[in-house]
Amino acid sequence: MNMRHVLLPALCTLILVSGCAQPPVDQINAAEQAVKDAQQSGAATYVANDYAKIEGLMAALKKEVADQDGKFALLRDYGKAEQLAATTKTEAERVKADATKKMEEAKSAATQAQQAAQEVVKSTLDLVAKAPAGKDRAALESIKTDAEALKASLNDVQMMLDKADYLGAQTKAKAIQEKGQAVSKEIETALAKIGKGKSTTKKK
Amino acid sequence: MFMMSKNQSIARLSLWWGVLALTGSLAGCVEAVPPEIVEAVESVDRDLMQLRAAELAPDDYSNFAHQWVTLRARVEAEDDVIRWPWEPNELEQALRHLQAEGTRTVARLTEHQDTLRRSAERQLAHVEERAKLIATEVSTIDSRLVLGEKPVEIDLLIKQARALYEQRHYGQSLEASERASHNLATQAAMLNRELGRYASHDRIAQWQRMAKDTIEWSREHRTAAIVVSKAERSLVLYRSGRKVLSYPVRLGFNGIKEKRYQGDGATPEGRYRVTSKRGQGQTQFYRALLLDYPNQEDRRRFVLERKIGNIPALRGIGGQIEIHGVENELMAQTLGCVMLDNSQMLALFDRVDKGTPVTIVGALHEHNSVALALANLSARRDET
Repeated sequence: MNMRHVLLPALCTLILVSGCAQPPVDQINAAEQAVKDAQQSGAATYVANDYAKIEGLMAALKKEVADQDGKFALLRDYGKAEQLAATTKTEAERVKADATKKMEEAKSAATQAQQAAQEVVKSTLDLVAKAPAGKDRAALESIKTDAEALKASLNDVQMMLDKADYLGAQTKAKAIQEKGQAVSKEIETALAKIGKGKSTTKKK
Repeated sequence: MFMMSKNQSIARLSLWWGVLALTGSLAGCVEAVPPEIVEAVESVDRDLMQLRAAELAPDDYSNFAHQWVTLRARVEAEDDVIRWPWEPNELEQALRHLQAEGTRTVARLTEHQDTLRRSAERQLAHVEERAKLIATEVSTIDSRLVLGEKPVEIDLLIKQARALYEQRHYGQSLEASERASHNLATQAAMLNRELGRYASHDRIAQWQRMAKDTIEWSREHRTAAIVVSKAERSLVLYRSGRKVLSYPVRLGFNGIKEKRYQGDGATPEGRYRVTSKRGQGQTQFYRALLLDYPNQEDRRRFVLERKIGNIPALRGIGGQIEIHGVENELMAQTLGCVMLDNSQMLALFDRVDKGTPVTIVGALHEHNSVALALANLSARRDET
């Protein structure tokens, strides 16, 4: 057999196959979308380190594709780029899941703290409403002012929750709860001391 | 017989030579990257995560992470590659460079974190101390109500700052402390606005003139006149210009403030007269001297305050301001009146008549309790 008749077609086939190497566009787009999804899930806030790493993977992928694009057509090999795209997508999906979980945990903790604060403030306001005028009117007025201030502060907690500032909302709610308990204790102590004070109807 | 053929000798020598060459090659080969350098960079990454580098120095960490991810991928790809010892290992050099850079970032962040922690700690201690000082001074002059809801807002910020500090969120703790500090400054300004007249030389001079006029009137008419000083919490009865009685008094629950409207708990300042005397059985407060509040000046000021929005809607100017005794027990404050204990009220009651002037002033001395409290707050603020 004439070797030329075997080798030549084989060589041409090889050239054709090699010359058709194309970047894995679909896989790259999928990886990019996965990173975007992770970003939108709050990954930069809740799993900042991991998010920085998937950004790094995406940058490495783009660089690899650019490097291959820059080569002579027959020498291009997008195998590594495909691998990187697959890794990036998998990692980004994991990061998104972690971020979502952490955000939900933070939101849940903040919401629970808000509810606890609301209960304490309500209980404080109920006590204030029951407190009779006693010997120390200034103390009573001061307690009323404090209770109203706590009620107004609950609005701040809600605003923080609306802006997804869960750490801020949680710390504020806990502070309100603590202060509310202190004010309630003050009222209960005062109630224990006060007798039945008559409140005058005179103008002052 | 024992002589090998030439071909056998060559074959044996070739075999030995091949074995020697192979052994030598294997002994001289090195792995692509020493595992300890990879572990070193992983350790730097862990340190950076511990320091929350992604949060505190996002650009630096992003740069490190990008490089690390790229190099790690290369390490994994070249895991099975064997190099000759004389071949330069560019990957290892890159890793060493990254490790050195990362170590410098760790050192920088550690110092930054420590500086931030110390700043947060210092600022938190400062606001806690300042808040405590203001609360103490305000309490000594019974002016808590002057500040409205501010003390609670500040207290909440301080609690937040403390919680954030304990959770090592030093930047956010510092932010909360700074907001508390700003609010404390606003609070101090509020105190000065409402009570600064007690430290005003001109205002005190005016009050002193009012008191002097009243005493002079008492001397000229050879009759009784009363001067009440709010800061000094004192009531003095003059007859024919001479001091006859001096008693401590209690004021409204917001007595130190200038009276603006009904229900504000302030004790009014001004020149008044006794309009009627209510004896035992005619008042729930043992005995009482009703004053002619509001007078013309009070009405004029009320209209002005209403115009500028200082009076809540549906609030009137008030009235029924008295000098009176005690109902059942000695209350800490009144709703705006001037209160004495009953034995003292009796002594006063028998010495005054309808028409007796009653002048109520803020203070008669520059070194009054309110002025001293404000000065103390100002001095301690400047110290810090």
